[in-house]
Amino acid sequence: MVGLGKAIKRLLRRGVKDGQSDNPIKKFRGTILSSSSVDVPLSSDLETNLQRLKSIFDKCSDVVFREFVFAQNEQVKLALIYIDGMVDKVQVSDQIMRALALEVAMATGGQKITKAHALEFIRERGLCINQISETGKTQDVIHAILSGDTVLLVDGHTTAIINGVRGWEARAITESQAESTVRGPRESFVETLRVNTSLIRRKIKSPALKIETLRLGEVTDTDVAIAYVESIANEKVVAEVKTRLKKIRVDGILESGYIEELIEDNPWSFFPTVNATERPDRVAGMLLEGRVAILVDGTPFVMTVPSLFVEYLQSPEDYYERFLFVSAVRLIRLLSLVLSLVLPGLYIAIVSFHHELLPTALLLSVAAQREGVPYPVLVEMLVMEVLFEVLREAGLRLPRPLGQAISIVGALVIGEAAVRAGLVAAATVIVVALTGIGSFVLSYRVSIAFRLLRFVLILLSAALGLMGLTSGMAVIMIHLCTLRSFGIPYLSPMIPLTTTDLKDVVVRAPWWAMFTRPRLIAGRRQTRLEPGLKPASPEARPKVEG
Amino acid sequence: MPEKGKIDTKQAIMLSICLILPTAMLSVPAVIIRHARQDAWISLILSIFIGLLVARLIVSLSFRFPDKTLFQYSEEILGRVPGKIVGLLYLWWVLHSNAIAIDEFASLPCVALMPDTPFVAFFIIAIVVAGYAVRNGLEVLSRYIELITPIGLGLMVSLFCLLTTKVKFERLLPVFDKGLVSIVKGAAMPSGWMGEIVLFSMFIPYLNKPREACRVAVLSILIIGIFMVSVTVGILLVFGPDVSSSWIFPVFMAIRAISIANFLERVESVVIGIWVFMGFAKIGVLYYAAVLGSAQWLGLKDYRPLVAPVGIVLLGLAFLCPNIIDLLDFLARAFPPYALIVFELGIPLILLGASLIRGRRGESS
Amino acid sequence: MIKKTAVVLMLAVLSSLLGGCWSRKEISELAIVLGVGVDLLPNDQIRLSVQIAQPGAFYGGGGARGGGMQTASWAVSAEGKTIDEAARYLAMRVPREIYWGHSMILVIGEKMAREGIGLIGDFFNREKEPRETMWLLVAEGEARDVLECGSILEKTSAQAAAFLTRMKTGFAVELREFAEMLASKGVQPVATRVIVKEQGAVPCAAQEGVATAYRQVEVSGLAIFKEDRLVGWLDDYETRGFLWLKGETFKGIITVPSPGDAYKAVSLRLRQAQTKVVPEYDGERIRFSVKIRTEADMVEQQSFEDLAKPEKIKALESLMAEEIRAMATTALEKVQRGYGVDIFGFGDAFHRKYKEDWRRLKDRWDEEFIRAEVSVTVEAHIREIGMLTRPAFSPEE
Repeated sequence: MVGLGKAIKRLLRRGVKDGQSDNPIKKFRGTILSSSSVDVPLSSDLETNLQRLKSIFDKCSDVVFREFVFAQNEQVKLALIYIDGMVDKVQVSDQIMRALALEVAMATGGQKITKAHALEFIRERGLCINQISETGKTQDVIHAILSGDTVLLVDGHTTAIINGVRGWEARAITESQAESTVRGPRESFVETLRVNTSLIRRKIKSPALKIETLRLGEVTDTDVAIAYVESIANEKVVAEVKTRLKKIRVDGILESGYIEELIEDNPWSFFPTVNATERPDRVAGMLLEGRVAILVDGTPFVMTVPSLFVEYLQSPEDYYERFLFVSAVRLIRLLSLVLSLVLPGLYIAIVSFHHELLPTALLLSVAAQREGVPYPVLVEMLVMEVLFEVLREAGLRLPRPLGQAISIVGALVIGEAAVRAGLVAAATVIVVALTGIGSFVLSYRVSIAFRLLRFVLILLSAALGLMGLTSGMAVIMIHLCTLRSFGIPYLSPMIPLTTTDLKDVVVRAPWWAMFTRPRLIAGRRQTRLEPGLKPASPEARPKVEG
Repeated sequence: MPEKGKIDTKQAIMLSICLILPTAMLSVPAVIIRHARQDAWISLILSIFIGLLVARLIVSLSFRFPDKTLFQYSEEILGRVPGKIVGLLYLWWVLHSNAIAIDEFASLPCVALMPDTPFVAFFIIAIVVAGYAVRNGLEVLSRYIELITPIGLGLMVSLFCLLTTKVKFERLLPVFDKGLVSIVKGAAMPSGWMGEIVLFSMFIPYLNKPREACRVAVLSILIIGIFMVSVTVGILLVFGPDVSSSWIFPVFMAIRAISIANFLERVESVVIGIWVFMGFAKIGVLYYAAVLGSAQWLGLKDYRPLVAPVGIVLLGLAFLCPNIIDLLDFLARAFPPYALIVFELGIPLILLGASLIRGRRGESS
Repeated sequence: MIKKTAVVLMLAVLSSLLGGCWSRKEISELAIVLGVGVDLLPNDQIRLSVQIAQPGAFYGGGGARGGGMQTASWAVSAEGKTIDEAARYLAMRVPREIYWGHSMILVIGEKMAREGIGLIGDFFNREKEPRETMWLLVAEGEARDVLECGSILEKTSAQAAAFLTRMKTGFAVELREFAEMLASKGVQPVATRVIVKEQGAVPCAAQEGVATAYRQVEVSGLAIFKEDRLVGWLDDYETRGFLWLKGETFKGIITVPSPGDAYKAVSLRLRQAQTKVVPEYDGERIRFSVKIRTEADMVEQQSFEDLAKPEKIKALESLMAEEIRAMATTALEKVQRGYGVDIFGFGDAFHRKYKEDWRRLKDRWDEEFIRAEVSVTVEAHIREIGMLTRPAFSPEE
């Protein structure tokens, strides 16, 4: 074991040294668009511009170059450049091509437009596109094309018109798969950034909702948006998020998980300090508490920071259902959280060390079940737990209908048959099943942390019984105390204790009692609702004079 | 300053509670009951006053030297060499107290749970876990304490509530049975423990509201005192003085006796859990004091490099005690004069006196 | 670099811990002792008998692996000079590790008890495994018999004895309570008596009309100790008298003659009882006045007279008080005059009131106790009379 650790260390160290010696990161960056053609301004000659762009988009069969002449002046040559499949073809042909090549002339009665005025005329009267912009830089043109815009180049002008006619086949907004609720909005985010921002904007109709965009990824050039509600969000956190995002130098970002691992506070921890959700209502709720959302183009998962431990107990539905029921459910979540972490270790500790802790009848029953089981309880437990994980993974990877079949086969055949055959004790199967189900009560992301730590606790319990179990838990607790998410202590508001924020931890207070936002997360504006909103019957209300 | 973190008043109170209570909870009642029998609670109340005295002493010293710990102001008061000697003495005492705490920590699982496991396994676990907390600094340590102290004490109280079916109030009578002498004798050991509040002076400079230091010290002594009194009275009510004085861990035994409706029984695993979590806290606090103290004594900028060496020293010191009999004997006989007279009252008094004299001389000149 | 070394060191330590597993005992490697018995043999050897559970018999559900009632336990004995020595010999006969943590009863044989329990009590208190909450029973005869007999309802006789004791129809003594009584000078210890008898009948399935009687345990009465030695017994009736004096509430029925007809009986079920012992000492004579207050419900009457009248209830109350007084006095007479030991805790009551004098008297308390005067006053109340106002089956008046 020691040898292994050393070997890993050595490997890691070598990796770092190699990296330092020839610095692949910086070198790599230059290779993407090495030609100096990118940094130059557009030329007034259309041919030159087209030549340059064609050389840049060499061997890109999906890029379309369409040259035609302006209806008002045959001398003025025009060119449309776009990527096939990323634009709305109807708009391109109707509102741009048709307009410029035919209809403008009809509308103005064939009035001649000089080459010098062509650009202005096209911008003012020629195009029937509501979202256009202009640029004189080649790299902007390239980026616009790659983003799905259609670029119009006009001969004799150094400015290109960018037409926002994006339109590609996108997934429709569907019901959330990963986080389903009984009550609450059904929609979930999709892969398109603009749709996602609109989903949030539709919930928070305020100019205070700021959505700042930046582009990350040297090759993928992915749009990333930071959303926050100004004056609610903590400025320090917003600034920190921006700094951390700006530091990122990576070739590509395909999912928000790339960013998550690059901006975490504690990269080595089991516990996620960045939350991810695909529910717009949840993000809106987070924003209103003062958190910052990070949206990434190409994924329906939106990250929110700071993310605290409490969030694992919370579900979006908690705020829609009645608070008493929610509080009871939260207690159950807390219970299953503890169970999924501790139960197998506790079982091993008791069965192989501390038999005096079981009531006599239970001990005899467990002893009866274990009679004839060939392996020690540690082996039994590890085999069953690993088996459970295998089944879970199989159920996840297989197509949905098959996945269910797998879990039935796994649970029934393996569990029942193993107990029948006397290979495992029924109690072990019960414990494994309980912990497994318990971990599914929590959100998938945090249950991963607990699932891994459970194995550590199993080993510790098998070595030292209750002492091992409790020591392991103490280390986990200390570790949780060291964690921070964007500067906010991970265990807050429990540790350090903020009494008013306990209203939304183990129990949820009714809405009319949740006066303040989480103190450490929200910035200056703490009050979230007016006091005195507790509903009462007309008789009980104090009479208004007059 | 080697430490940059700050702790708030609530955390400081829990920190001081964990400085004393965790190991005292289990074994101290037996020793008091052995002397004072059913009047053990009176002895405890006496010891609370001693604790308050020490707390007052240490707080007034700290008020004279804000931003300075025991190790720093002893040098300032007594001069460089004598100050260093006093620092060295305290360093020894902190290390020794911690070694005792580690011994005690290991003795419950060793005696009650896993007799075949060598002590050293528990020593190593305690030092590694506490060291992990210490390395992460005062803030993390106090957050850990803030996390477990309310849970631990709350569970302990609810366990004792389960014992009510076995309580007989006659077991506390008659009062003053053995006379004042045995009560005072019984008070000696818990006073020695209460006096460990002296080490709170290591943390006063890191309070975010240093003015509340006095309140923190007094409150924590009172909470510890009340808790100890209720635990002791609880044991007496369940077992009476004769039986409980013959056990090493009467609290543990009392919890073992819980049996409600024939199913809520054998709950001592909870006590083991509390013991381990709180034990880590106590060892962590003393460990931290030792590490910070030695960093200040050596004049280092950072205490983190000292965590590992101090841990190894602690492991060695923990071996000094051969078995639980010697440990208990030491705690019952030698510990009170050794700790109480020298470190908890003697040296602080000298320091305070010296600083008063020097202060006056300073004013006159 | 230091950090990395530290991590490697910690890994090394942890892996060595993992390899340890010192105290690990798999549950299937254990012989779970349910009851322990100790006898003294004529050759002064101590015989340790244990009843070991046969786990297979406790397998619920399918019962595929379950055995019959006969194989639920296994009683085995070994002899030695001390308990530990006997336990060592026992380990040679039991193929698994003997595990004491779940022993429910500790049965002491009569001969052993007369010789002194102090010889053996240490083992059960010092060892971590046996729990001090196990019931202490003294067998009339040999302790081994208790462990060797069976039980029809429960799986083992140890469980049967423990459940019988737990029901608190008599006086139940946990090991820790015995230790407490033994340690105190103001009270002498008692323990529950256990007897093995043939009782009830199990019909034979194969042959109609044939029933086998089983030897089973019965828990009743008390064993009285002077210090740690058994000096005598109290029977059922006296035990209840003892309970009255001791002030322990118990579940029980008191039967008194009907107020109008001395040949018919009325049964009263106890609701609660309080006992107050007030010592008085004038420097010479010690007097105890025991005040008993109790409440009961009427549950059964044999006569046809109408008891649902205030004056009849009054009469019944005084009859009940008389009966309780008689019980208490019988027990007191037997213990005070017959055995001369204070099992009632009068000494403790004296200690609480006269702590100065106690210091002087405590070492010869039993003699003082014999000379002490005890007066018993009983105040009895009847609360409920059941669901009838007139006796059932009574003819119309």
